[in-house]
Amino acid sequence: MQVRNTTARWGSVAQFLHWLIVALIITQLILALIASELHGMAKLATLARHKSVGITILMLAVVRLLWRLGNPTPPLPLTLKPYERVLAKFTHAALYVLIFAMPLSGWIMSSARGFPVSWFSLFQLPDLVAKNRPLYEAMLTTHGVLACALVAIATLHALAALKHHFVLKDTVLRRMLPFSKIP
Amino acid sequence: MIRRNRLAWPLALLMMLAADASAAPAATYSLDAAKSTFEFAFVQAGATNKGRYPKFAVNFSFADDSVATSKLDVIVDMAALDTADQERDDTLRGADLFNVAKFPQAHFTATQITKIAAGGYDAAGTLTLRGVTRPQHVSFTLRSATEQGRQVLYMNGKALIKRLEYGVGQGDWKSTEWVGNDVNLTFNLRLVAAG
Repeated sequence: MQVRNTTARWGSVAQFLHWLIVALIITQLILALIASELHGMAKLATLARHKSVGITILMLAVVRLLWRLGNPTPPLPLTLKPYERVLAKFTHAALYVLIFAMPLSGWIMSSARGFPVSWFSLFQLPDLVAKNRPLYEAMLTTHGVLACALVAIATLHALAALKHHFVLKDTVLRRMLPFSKIP
Repeated sequence: MIRRNRLAWPLALLMMLAADASAAPAATYSLDAAKSTFEFAFVQAGATNKGRYPKFAVNFSFADDSVATSKLDVIVDMAALDTADQERDDTLRGADLFNVAKFPQAHFTATQITKIAAGGYDAAGTLTLRGVTRPQHVSFTLRSATEQGRQVLYMNGKALIKRLEYGVGQGDWKSTEWVGNDVNLTFNLRLVAAG
């Protein structure tokens, strides 16, 4: 299997980054939902893990964007209608924006509340802003709204991939799957 | 009567001279609360969290050539602690941590102040925190100045406290996995000579 992308399929690096980020985003949703039910030390520990995973996603997002810019992008199928092309490009762009905006809004939120972020207790990240309660409130709302948007757009993205595979029977899903043969 | 009077003056003079030779009388200083800060820092989940004690009282009497007789006494209002976050403050005030309802004050009394460097001192004493009294060291530096005709001391210092030695951390909080045992205190005080 190719490391780099070709015009026919995604290479192993792009696939790895895609599926790793999918797994980490699902982890984040679960940690966030658990934390909202907790108090005291358990909440602190769960949110610390949520922040560490979030910073991991941000780091991976940087690598992923650079990798995408330095590699060919497998083109959308020519059979797509113009509005479908627009929709596909919009969802992909939005997902890229969100894998940056989610961790960054969380990081600003933590800084504004005066709870600095560390990466798995290995190193402490600098505060992006000074303590600021109204900014914290605004970022808390933003983080939540973006999370809902991420779930909605990622669901649309997944449903579209399944439609390509099972209804249109093209290679769109398979070219992002390891071990799948593309004719 | 006459004989006693004749002896009294020379004796008093002699005693004053003797006292002068060993030490100048220690001056007493009071805290300028508006220009003083007392802060704490601890590591939570790998990140340093900071807060301050806005209410505290300091009694300091000091003479540089008689450091051993100098006194330092600090009382901190624990309920007033402030980390700029209500939830964190309430957790710190709670029964498992500072338990301010039962132990509203922390009290440090120096029993021995020694000079360790030019302008640098070590105060050995006892700290009573959350009902536990233990030996505790505080190190500080002093810079003196004369401001508007009054003698002023700027005291900058620090102390390292192991919170669990004082029982600050019961139940879940006994673990140091998420909240470290070390609490760093730093203070920058403006002390004004009495009188």
